[in-house]
Amino acid sequence: MIRILYIEDEKEIGQWVSKDLTERGYEVTWLESGDGLEQHLSSKDIAILDVMLPGLDGFSIGKRIKRANNELPILMLSARTAVEDKIEGLNFADDYLTKPFHPDELVARLEVLLRRYQKNDDVLELQHLKMYTKDMRIINTLTEEEILLTGKQFYLLQYFIRHLNQILTKEQLYEGVWGESYIEGDKTLMVHIRYLREKIEINPAKPMIIETIRGIGYRVKL
Amino acid sequence: MKFFQSLLAKYMLIILLALSIVQISYMGTAMFVLGITKTGVGEFSSEVLLESEIEEQWHAQSKNINNVSNDAITQLFQRWQEQLPTASMFWVSEDGTLLTTVNVQEELPAKWTPAFTTKFIKQRYGGDPFTVIAFLDDDVSNGFIVLEVPRNVFNPPLINIYENYGNFLFLGVIAIILFFIVVSLLFFKGIRKRLLHLQDAMEIRDVDGLPIEIHVKKKDEIGQLEHSFNRMVCELRESKQRQQKEEQLRRELIANLSHDLRTPLTKVRAQSYSISKEALSEEGKQALRAMETSIVNIDALIENLMSYTLLMASKYKFEPKDINVIRFVREHLTTWYPVFEREGFTIDIELQAFEHHEWCVDPIWLGRILDNVFQNVLRHANSGKYIGVKTESTASYTAFIIEDHGNGMKNESNAKGAGIGLSIVDVMVKGMHLEWDICSDPSGTKIIIKHVNQSAMLGQ
Repeated sequence: MIRILYIEDEKEIGQWVSKDLTERGYEVTWLESGDGLEQHLSSKDIAILDVMLPGLDGFSIGKRIKRANNELPILMLSARTAVEDKIEGLNFADDYLTKPFHPDELVARLEVLLRRYQKNDDVLELQHLKMYTKDMRIINTLTEEEILLTGKQFYLLQYFIRHLNQILTKEQLYEGVWGESYIEGDKTLMVHIRYLREKIEINPAKPMIIETIRGIGYRVKL
Repeated sequence: MKFFQSLLAKYMLIILLALSIVQISYMGTAMFVLGITKTGVGEFSSEVLLESEIEEQWHAQSKNINNVSNDAITQLFQRWQEQLPTASMFWVSEDGTLLTTVNVQEELPAKWTPAFTTKFIKQRYGGDPFTVIAFLDDDVSNGFIVLEVPRNVFNPPLINIYENYGNFLFLGVIAIILFFIVVSLLFFKGIRKRLLHLQDAMEIRDVDGLPIEIHVKKKDEIGQLEHSFNRMVCELRESKQRQQKEEQLRRELIANLSHDLRTPLTKVRAQSYSISKEALSEEGKQALRAMETSIVNIDALIENLMSYTLLMASKYKFEPKDINVIRFVREHLTTWYPVFEREGFTIDIELQAFEHHEWCVDPIWLGRILDNVFQNVLRHANSGKYIGVKTESTASYTAFIIEDHGNGMKNESNAKGAGIGLSIVDVMVKGMHLEWDICSDPSGTKIIIKHVNQSAMLGQ
């Protein structure tokens, strides 16, 4: 079970978010300020922080958390929407969500962070594929055979899995996987996606897993 | 500032020094001249030798010789030579024999004939050397003694000095003039250097865009100018800090206001979300959906209101830079695509590469423009269920076209507001030197955001 540390001083919002997340299967520890924070740091998978808090503000708490445990993803959840606040928050935090937010969006963002830090479930079921995200084994559930990928195909799929449900542009994909600047007109990425589709899609001509978003890029949707 | 620390005092000092040098040199010269003349005049009454006095004394002393002998004559000659070292003397006897000579340089005959004597007298009359002939003891039989003194001995001392030390004097005068020129040059060079340094310092900018304070070394007029400059920089810095503080306060106020408005809005959403989990009638569900829409609209309105307030007060941060605008718009669309997808829109995106794809814009501002336009499509053109984002490239401009199939601007939806979202677009588009057009008719609206090609404009 994913363990969430949630710091929020507004009782109504705190209760609502805690309750909703608990109902969705997360284990939530809700604090109204940063007091007694240290004892929870080692036992949590992710932290959600408000900014305007009594005593230490969310930015200071977030920086302390990152200093103590850099592997703990932080999502800032604040009613402060100014660009300056977002920039300051994103200096250390992994995401910044503004109030009023929809709980579905909060959960979607939490899941993205958990995947990025590989803290969620080991097994991911995607259409007919079963993926063991820790060791990146992919099983075709239709044939019960393991799908073997080349190095680049593996990294490409891993990048999609880390950004599940997000649309990724060609530039983002190429730079994320190859680590180099994308040059307009380069077909390398498309070729690799075609080969990857041939391996993982039932019908590569009508891909269901790696979706093409015309004019923008690609998306792998859970 | 004390007078003696001023440049004026220094300049006056140089002038006085120059004048004093001239005076001191004259005095020095005079003393030098006096010294020379005193050493050369012996027993004579005047410091300047006179021919008449020499003549008179020569005659007097030759007359006073009672016992004419070689020794007596030699003694006389020696006495005169001590007083006039350049003088030459000789004694010619009655029969014309050249006897005693002292310091005689010229060729004299051992035997003086009347003719030679006459010729000698004629040659020396009024000539150089000055020649005095006197009979010894007023007796012609003792012969005569001759004194020859070079004419220049009778020159005034200054003439002698000019003749002897003229070159040194000339060089001395030149040296004094040169000294004065060098001192003046150094003085003005020092002033010039400090003024140029001041000018340079005025042009150097610190990281905050203000000039840097100057280290004041001297307390003269330029030092005062530097002090004034430092004071001005200090005042500018204080003014800028006040302005920044004011901006910060304003931003803080708006951020806090925004926070204070959004917090209850979040609580409203929390309540509506909790209610939505209950078993509701269709009417109840409809009311909740309306409430949800209102929450989204109020949220957007608060955001727009805050941004508009900051924009109008020119306090909205603006940091333009060259960005690949096609890439930027495409990445921005990745966040909006799921929203339009959820609303069931047909999404038509065709972003063709521009020849020059870099626009100098603030990415946050451009993002805000796109957000507001898309938000507008979502709110006011939802009925058309179509969003198109395309590029257009001509010789004079490159542009993004955002198109919908709504009812057009004149037949806006019920969600019509104060149009603050598009006002922000207008301010931001103009702020980034872009242009925009709206083409709207009942079949839809087309918003074109243009980047005018400056070189094409200049060519027209």
